[in-house]
Amino acid sequence: MIGNALPGAELVVRTIAETAIENEKYFGDLDAVVGDGDLGYSLARGFEKLLDGWDAIDRSDAGTFLKRAGMILASRIGGTSGPLWGTAFLRAGAAAGTAADLTGAQVVAMVRAAVEGIKARGQSDVGDKTLLDALVPLADRLEREFAAGAGPGDALRAAAVTTREAAEATSGMVAKRGRAAYTGERSRGSVDAGATAVAVIVERISETWQRQGATS
Amino acid sequence: MKKFVNDPKNYVAEMLEGVALANPGRLRYVPEYNLIMRTDAPREDKVSIVQGSGSGHEPAHVMAVGRGMLDAACPGDVFAAPPMDYVYETAKLLASPKGVLLLVNNYTGDRMAFDMGREMAEADGVTAEILTINDDVAVQDSTYTVGRRGVAGNFFVIKAVGAASEQGADMAEVLRIGRKVNDVTRTMGVALTACTPPAKGSPLFELGGDEIEFGVGIHGEPGRERRKIKDADAILDDMLEAVAGDLPYESGDRVALMINGLGGTPISELYILYRHAHRRLADRGITVGRSYVNEYCTSLDMAGASLTLVRLDDEIDGLLGAPAEVAARVF
Repeated sequence: MIGNALPGAELVVRTIAETAIENEKYFGDLDAVVGDGDLGYSLARGFEKLLDGWDAIDRSDAGTFLKRAGMILASRIGGTSGPLWGTAFLRAGAAAGTAADLTGAQVVAMVRAAVEGIKARGQSDVGDKTLLDALVPLADRLEREFAAGAGPGDALRAAAVTTREAAEATSGMVAKRGRAAYTGERSRGSVDAGATAVAVIVERISETWQRQGATS
Repeated sequence: MKKFVNDPKNYVAEMLEGVALANPGRLRYVPEYNLIMRTDAPREDKVSIVQGSGSGHEPAHVMAVGRGMLDAACPGDVFAAPPMDYVYETAKLLASPKGVLLLVNNYTGDRMAFDMGREMAEADGVTAEILTINDDVAVQDSTYTVGRRGVAGNFFVIKAVGAASEQGADMAEVLRIGRKVNDVTRTMGVALTACTPPAKGSPLFELGGDEIEFGVGIHGEPGRERRKIKDADAILDDMLEAVAGDLPYESGDRVALMINGLGGTPISELYILYRHAHRRLADRGITVGRSYVNEYCTSLDMAGASLTLVRLDDEIDGLLGAPAEVAARVF
């Protein structure tokens, strides 16, 4: 048991939103290397909208809360990122369902569901140099940590390291999806902006969790 | 380019308001979501049939709402897919115990908006399915698509699934029929001129005085090639060759034949094309069972036409012949 589902979901979503807004310029600069440079702006505007309506989001249960957040993000993040991030939250919410408490295995199932949603929506897979190249290693590491009996704090700390390594490793890849794909070989040598954004976000979630935990 | 527009920003909204005012008691306009819906929709005993795409293709799809056709149409701005939340809200408003069928012309933007809107509606407990229409034989992949585009053939899919749902068919049956009709429908268009989006005020592309765009898309996007203009029968021969050879339609087949105007061509010219198509099909041993000569799916004010064939069997023929009523009418 890693704690109460709804407070945990709220903490994670709020942390993602604040991180995306604070890193608007950084994410945008990363995306401008070979992409179209709109990632930072798009994510920041979408997550601002989410925080604007924060108190009004339906909190019947963690699943509903995540699904509502996904709908807001899908509609308010511009470009292709909206449907991708929105789908991730929608699928994670569907996987969480009405559970009041979540086990480590359930959290892993939520991340896996988000990954499958992004794959389907973006018609992409691991190795295409997208945020999936950070998310899948994240899910794998979380799964290993929870299976070995780690608590959420330790599992997150380990997963943050793995996610950062995976994001750095995208610099050796050629982009096969998104605007960066148009640059072919020239996309090699720079990290993927989406994967790096995931790494920064997971690091922040881990830090926040060590400070607060979710069982408040 | 002279047009009857006020503020181009309000082009779609003012058109939709006009459609609703002209059809009191039959159609309802929901301005928040660009939505035109039947006043008696949704019905508990019927799968709701919804189509959306960019505006600028009228009478598709807002004027195809009515008994035996669409229950609702949810257009975007001119040549732009509707926002996903419009799709989502539309699916919720049209929710029925028998489900909502979303008809989507195969364009990347439309598919993304409808996939996402459907997923959001499903998260709210609405049963919704998507059927993709891709009848255009001109090009395999285009500026806006992976795979073939959806063009004037969408009329036949709407007509068939509209009739089936009106007769009480369930979702699986309606989907089966829609896919079946899409599978035997092929279309090809030719442009004589470009079209002029109201917000742009100038033509989307340039065609020389003696040029045609063979295989043009309904947004004016390129087709197979630029060609020199010939007389009507010779152009029709080329179109028919491309369409008939694709399925292929063969001697002994019965077909529905549609000559669709792209918005800026007089109906008289459409009948000149129809005459030759009808005769040429007879030469091939193909019988025309149903004829359609009018504007069904346009590209604003583009001069041009498309030719559509549907291979008929008793089931499709019966559904195409079932009674229907839409806003675009002449009596």
